[in-house]
Amino acid sequence: MSTASQHKPVDTRPEKIIKLEKKMRRKEGGKKLNRSMAGNTLLFIIMGISGLFMVLPLVMIVNNALKPLDEIYQFPPRIFVRNPTLTNFSDLFVLMNESWVPFSRYIFNTIIISLGGMLGHVIVASMAAYPLAKHKFPGKALLFSMVVLSMMFSWTVTQIPQYLIISWLGINNTYAALVLPAWAFGMGLYLMKQFMEQLPDSLMESARLQGANEWQIFWQIVMPNVRPAWLTLAIFQFQQMWGNTGGMFLRNEELKPLQYALQQITSGGVSRAGAGAAVTFIIAAIPIIFFLICQSSILETMTTSGMKD
Amino acid sequence: MSAAKKRKFRLNYEQRNAMRGYAFILPWLIGFLVFYAGCLFQLVRFSVMDIKIDATTGTRLDTFVGFDNFITAFTAHASFKQVLTSSLIDMVIDLPLIIFFSLFVALLLNRKFRGRALVRAIFFLPIILSADAVGSAITRATELMNNGVSAQAAEMAGGGAVSVSYYISLFGDLAIPPTILEYLVGAVNRIASIIKGSGVQIILFIAALQSIPGSLYEVAKIEGATGYETLWKVTVPMVMPHIITNTIYTLVDRFTTSEVMRLANETYQKYNYGLSSVFSLVATTATILILGVIVYLLNKRAFYYN
Repeated sequence: MSTASQHKPVDTRPEKIIKLEKKMRRKEGGKKLNRSMAGNTLLFIIMGISGLFMVLPLVMIVNNALKPLDEIYQFPPRIFVRNPTLTNFSDLFVLMNESWVPFSRYIFNTIIISLGGMLGHVIVASMAAYPLAKHKFPGKALLFSMVVLSMMFSWTVTQIPQYLIISWLGINNTYAALVLPAWAFGMGLYLMKQFMEQLPDSLMESARLQGANEWQIFWQIVMPNVRPAWLTLAIFQFQQMWGNTGGMFLRNEELKPLQYALQQITSGGVSRAGAGAAVTFIIAAIPIIFFLICQSSILETMTTSGMKD
Repeated sequence: MSAAKKRKFRLNYEQRNAMRGYAFILPWLIGFLVFYAGCLFQLVRFSVMDIKIDATTGTRLDTFVGFDNFITAFTAHASFKQVLTSSLIDMVIDLPLIIFFSLFVALLLNRKFRGRALVRAIFFLPIILSADAVGSAITRATELMNNGVSAQAAEMAGGGAVSVSYYISLFGDLAIPPTILEYLVGAVNRIASIIKGSGVQIILFIAALQSIPGSLYEVAKIEGATGYETLWKVTVPMVMPHIITNTIYTLVDRFTTSEVMRLANETYQKYNYGLSSVFSLVATTATILILGVIVYLLNKRAFYYN
């Protein structure tokens, strides 16, 4: 890791500078610069509270899934479970076995749709983001404003034209009806462009001087260096696709995704509340597990090592 | 083909570069044009049409009505104007709060401390929790808690809650200007939604902070700058372009989840296609205008390194 990533670089500086700094510290009464106990405590409290806000729904989901039915409807409602059981999950499995289409089929559909939409979107969006971030060509500003604009429209409002287009393409009632439109979302392109802009130009220049063509630069220089970005995007997109119920495009029961089946279960009302809580847990758990797998690479330093500032 | 003719088609360096750029964008562009550009065009078309679905045959009947839908939206519709202004104001209020909060969190998360991975994961959670699937799952879970016996019991029990308005009036007595007070109260009410809406911004800011060359901080230190000065003289100017980026992202994100869009969707689901297109168009245009003004103002202050 280069020193560029830290505010407090490792002391590899000349002796003279270190001495100077020590002298300055003495002037401040030997204290660490600008850091007080009270300030730290305040920060800790603020961060703690906002962190709590973020974790709370998750805690609630987990606990709800473990509650027996009478505790789910208990008043006043409790966050933490008292007598944890797994009945909700066993109920859910009983329900699953009763379904007309084998449950594994729903899972298979969801995996195809989620992974297909995710991989395609990450690749297509990254490819489009690379020239927008690092090349100069006419029409660039126009293209980019198109991207921003496309992010702003509510797709509920354009359902009819979208349906017409999908049937015109003849991909109605296939996986492609969900997967292909996902490839052309604007959001991923926008995020990837912002990350790619931070790559130093000299990185690409040196590759170019070594005789790499643009395709090689993209796959071997740009993409490995913005790995945190496209992993973030992958998670983001996976979630979007994971939540897809197939809507109006998938009519065959054998093509419907898991979300749809789970929704059917939760709409069963009070008697299914337990199974519903288990469903909620499953819906939330998969993206979080996916996140935890990628987590170590996300939010880590964007590689600028190998560069001499 | 002769050599002379071939030369005619040879592009210069810049043109070749541009062609490569287009080639990379092409897959996305095709997708965009096929799936979305047509929809945008239709949206505009719908806004000047009266669209009815024939109940018996299921065919769509479009009649051109000019600006009737617009006139209805602004004069006859019960709540459009109020919803539009309130959601635009909401966006503008939320914007600085989200930007400051996410920059603040990013600054903290960018430092080295024990358990950083866990804290980062926690602050990344909003992105996961704001996803459609998980979001609706959470709503469903809360509904489960509210619908049953507990809701009735809560109604009966009511009245024991802390009176917020009492505290507000208490602060009012301290001679804090009411507008500032309202903004603060509003901000406190928004905490949850602000935290939820700042996940991506935090990530973008962390990436931005890490791209600041360490040498700048070294120089600042040697010159004897305090941490506070370093923040305002080095960090903030260096992340300024990213503040613009995040501003755009935040506004767009807030917009798509705003009340006015919900109104448009609701109207749409009531088969009032023309009117909902108008709502969507007007709101989008207004947001773009706001976006333009803010980005213009920020751009004047921005400073581009490199």
